[in-house]
Amino acid sequence: MLTFLLRRLALAVPTLVGVLVVVFLLLYVAPGDPVQEMVGERADAETIARLRRELRLDEPLPVQFASYIGGVVRGDLGRSYITNRPILGDILDRFPKTLLLAGAAMAIAATVGITVGALSARKPGGWFDRVALSLTYLGISFPVYWVGLLLILLFAVMLRWLPPSGYGRPIYLVLPALALGSRSIAFLARVTRSAMLEVLGGDFVRTARAKGLRERAVIVRHALRNALIPVITVLGLDFGYYLTGSILTETIFSWPGLGRYVVNAIARRDLPAIQGSVLFLSVVFVLVNLATDVAYAKADPRVAYD
Amino acid sequence: MRRLLLSALLATCAAGAAACRGGDSTPERSTLVDSRDTYDPRSLDPALSTDVPTGRAVGYVFDGLVRFTPDARVEPGLAERWEVSPDGRVYTFHLRRGVAFHDGAPFVARQVVRSFERVLDPRTRGGRPNTLYPIRGARDFADGKARTVAGLAAANDSTVVITLSEPLAIFPKLLAMPVAAVVPDSVPANFGERPVGTGPWKLVEWKHDDYLRFAANKSYWGGAPKADSLVARIIPEPSTAVAEFDVGNVDVLQVPEGETRDWDQTDERKAVLQSAPALRFVHIAINTTRGPLKDARVRQAINHAVDVNAVVAQLFAGRGRRAAGVVPPALAGADTLRAAYAYDPARAKQLLAEAGHPNGINVELWTSQTPIYVRLAETVQGYLAQANIRAKIVQRDASSAREAARKGETDLFIRDWWADYPDAENFLVPLLAAESKGPGGNYSYYASPRFDALLDRARREQNDEARAALYRQADSLAFADAPVVFLFFYNELYAVQPWVRGFQVPTIFNGQRWTDVQVQRQGGAR
Repeated sequence: MLTFLLRRLALAVPTLVGVLVVVFLLLYVAPGDPVQEMVGERADAETIARLRRELRLDEPLPVQFASYIGGVVRGDLGRSYITNRPILGDILDRFPKTLLLAGAAMAIAATVGITVGALSARKPGGWFDRVALSLTYLGISFPVYWVGLLLILLFAVMLRWLPPSGYGRPIYLVLPALALGSRSIAFLARVTRSAMLEVLGGDFVRTARAKGLRERAVIVRHALRNALIPVITVLGLDFGYYLTGSILTETIFSWPGLGRYVVNAIARRDLPAIQGSVLFLSVVFVLVNLATDVAYAKADPRVAYD
Repeated sequence: MRRLLLSALLATCAAGAAACRGGDSTPERSTLVDSRDTYDPRSLDPALSTDVPTGRAVGYVFDGLVRFTPDARVEPGLAERWEVSPDGRVYTFHLRRGVAFHDGAPFVARQVVRSFERVLDPRTRGGRPNTLYPIRGARDFADGKARTVAGLAAANDSTVVITLSEPLAIFPKLLAMPVAAVVPDSVPANFGERPVGTGPWKLVEWKHDDYLRFAANKSYWGGAPKADSLVARIIPEPSTAVAEFDVGNVDVLQVPEGETRDWDQTDERKAVLQSAPALRFVHIAINTTRGPLKDARVRQAINHAVDVNAVVAQLFAGRGRRAAGVVPPALAGADTLRAAYAYDPARAKQLLAEAGHPNGINVELWTSQTPIYVRLAETVQGYLAQANIRAKIVQRDASSAREAARKGETDLFIRDWWADYPDAENFLVPLLAAESKGPGGNYSYYASPRFDALLDRARREQNDEARAALYRQADSLAFADAPVVFLFFYNELYAVQPWVRGFQVPTIFNGQRWTDVQVQRQGGAR
C-alpha cells in the first residue's frame, strides 16, 4: 500500500507541472490584461508600460515561467497583482471554509442519499421508491442557483429560522450545505439504488437470507457493503468537485470560500492568483482521487494495490 | 424561467405572508451595516484604490486634503482652505492643525508630500498615478528621472504648496479621490491590511470576502461619527442582499434593476426607497474610425434608430434620465434644454441612404456578460434591425470586452461610465478627447480638433461659469457628431431601513462616509 501511495504521488508531479504549463500558456493567449484591470478605465500608456516593467510582464514568456516555477519550488506562490497580498496566505485563509462547506454538503448527501437509495431498492416500484425517484429527478434537474435562492426565501425570509447568508456560527452552514448537497443527494440515491438492485439479486444475498439473517442485517451488512464501490466513486468525484470551490453556492450565500477567490482572480486577470489557485486545486484533486482509490480497497477486499 | 419563478414567489411572498415584510422591528444592534460591496476591496492602502469597494473603504479610514459631500460638492478636508495663484498654476493648501492619525501621531505637511510620492512610485504597484500627473515633475518622478517631485513642497508643518505644469481648474476635485488620501510617515508592508489614517473610522477587522468592521474614531477632527461601529458586508449576489435587507440584517441596499418593480408596487417597500441621480452615463461607444461608422450621418442614424425612452422604461424600470450629451444634468456644463435624438426609424434609413448605404450596414455590437447589458444589447439589436442596421452581438467577459474596445476592435460597445469626481471634464475628456483614445477611455476613437481645443481652453479657465460654457459648447459639438449612442443617466435607487437616521444617497461613490448616520432605537418592544 505504501509503495502504491508513493508511486501515485510521484506520478502526480508531472501532472502538476503539465497543469502549470497549460495554465501559463492559456493565460498568455487569453484576451484581457492584468495591468489594464489594475489601472481601470482611465489610464495612459506610460503608466501601463511602467507597471508592466515593475511586474516583469515585459520579459519573455520562458523567463517568466522559470521564475514562477522557481518560486513554487521554494513554496512561494508570489503576491497578487491586485491586492499585493501573498497568494498562499489568501488561499489558506479560504480553503478551510470551502472544506467545511464541502464536508457538510457531502455528509448530508451521503447520509440522505445512501439511505434513500437503499430504502428504495428494498421494494422497487413501491410507494417510497416512486416518491424518492421523482424527488431525485427534481433534485438533479434544479440548478443549484435556484435551489439556493429558494432555500433563502423559505427558511430565512419567510420562516426566519436561519440567516440568509454569511459565514460564522454553524447555523450559517445549514442552507449552503443543503443547497450544495442537493444535487449529490439525488445522484447518490439513484446510484445506490441501482447498485443495490444489482447486488440484491446476487447469490450471497439469497444465502444470507436463507441462513435466517434479519432483513436489516442483510441490507446493511451484506448488500450495502457490496454496492458501495460505485457510490464511493460518486462521493469521491463530487467531493473533489466541491473542494475546488462551489462557486455558485459560495456566491449566493456570501460564503467566503475558494471558489469566489478564483472567480474574482480570473475576472481581474490576476495571473499569479489564478496560477496559484489552479496549482493548489490540482494538488487537492490528486489527493482526493488517491483517497478514493484507498477507500475502494477498504470497501472491497478484492481490490488490492501493490 | 428562473427569474419568472422567483418573481412569482416573491410576489406571493409580498402579497401574503406577514413574515415576508422587512423592517417590522428595530434590531437590537447599534452597528450600521452596509450591503453595497459585491466584491472584496483590493486593499485599504489608498494608493491601490482603483475600484469602488476599495475607494469607499479608504474614504472611511483616511482623509484627503478635500472631500466630497453625499451630493458631490467639494468641501475642505485636511486642508482648511486653499488659494490659487492668478495664473492658476500654484495651489497653496493651509492644513488643519491638531489632527492626529489613529495611532496618535500628528498629521503634518510632509506626509502629504510622501503620500503623493508613494502614489507616483511604480514600486507601489497602485495603478492610479495619473491622478497626480498634473503636478509639475510628477511624471519625471514616476519614471525615476527625479528623486523628488518638483512641484510638491511642504513649506512648513501646516502648508503644502503644489505647482502644476499647467493651469487646471479641476485640480482640487482630483485631490478628493481616494488615491490622494494622506498616509502616515511609516507604511509597513501590510499597511493595506492594517491601515492607519486620520479618517472618521478605524478598521477593526477584515474578513476577506465576508465583511470589514470599522469602529468610530472618537477623536475625529470633524466630530466623532454618531454610530459606534460600521460593518461593510460583501454580498456578491444582489438577490441575497435583498433577502438580508428583508430580514433586517442590513441597513442600506442598492435595489437591483431587475427588482425595481417589486419595490415600487408595494407601499410598505416603497416607503423605504430613496433615489438620487447618479453621475453615471450608460451609453454605446461607436468607433468612429471603423468602416461606415466614420460617417457622422451613419452614427446619427444609429441614434435615431433606438427608442431610448422605451429602453429606459422597460429594461431599467424607468431608472434613468434620457441623455442628450455626455454631461449629466447635475453638473455645470450640461445643457438640460438640448433635445435628444428622436426615435425615428424612417429618418435613420434616410440618413443611411444619404451616407451611401441604401441597403443598410452590418456592425458588431459588443457587450460584457452582465445580464442587464446583454438584454440591452438584444433590445438595441432589435431596434437597429428595423432601420436596416444589422448588428451581430458579441458577448465576452468584462475584461476581454474592454480590451477589445480599448484596442479599437469593436464597432459598437455597451458601456457604463461612473464619475471619479463631479465635473463635466470627467465625462468629456476620458470618453471623447483625442488624448484619451484607447486606454484613456475614449473607445469611440473620436478625434475632433475643435472639440479638443474647447476642452483645452476649459482646462485652463479659472472662471467656473466661463468653463461651464466651454464644456457646453464641446458637448454640443460631440452631440451633433454622435460618437456614442446617447442612452441615459442612471438613477440610483436605495432602500434604507426605517430605523436608520441621517442617510443620504451619495451621487458619487465615495460621497457617503456614514458620520451622520445612526440606528434609531425605539423605546420598548412592540
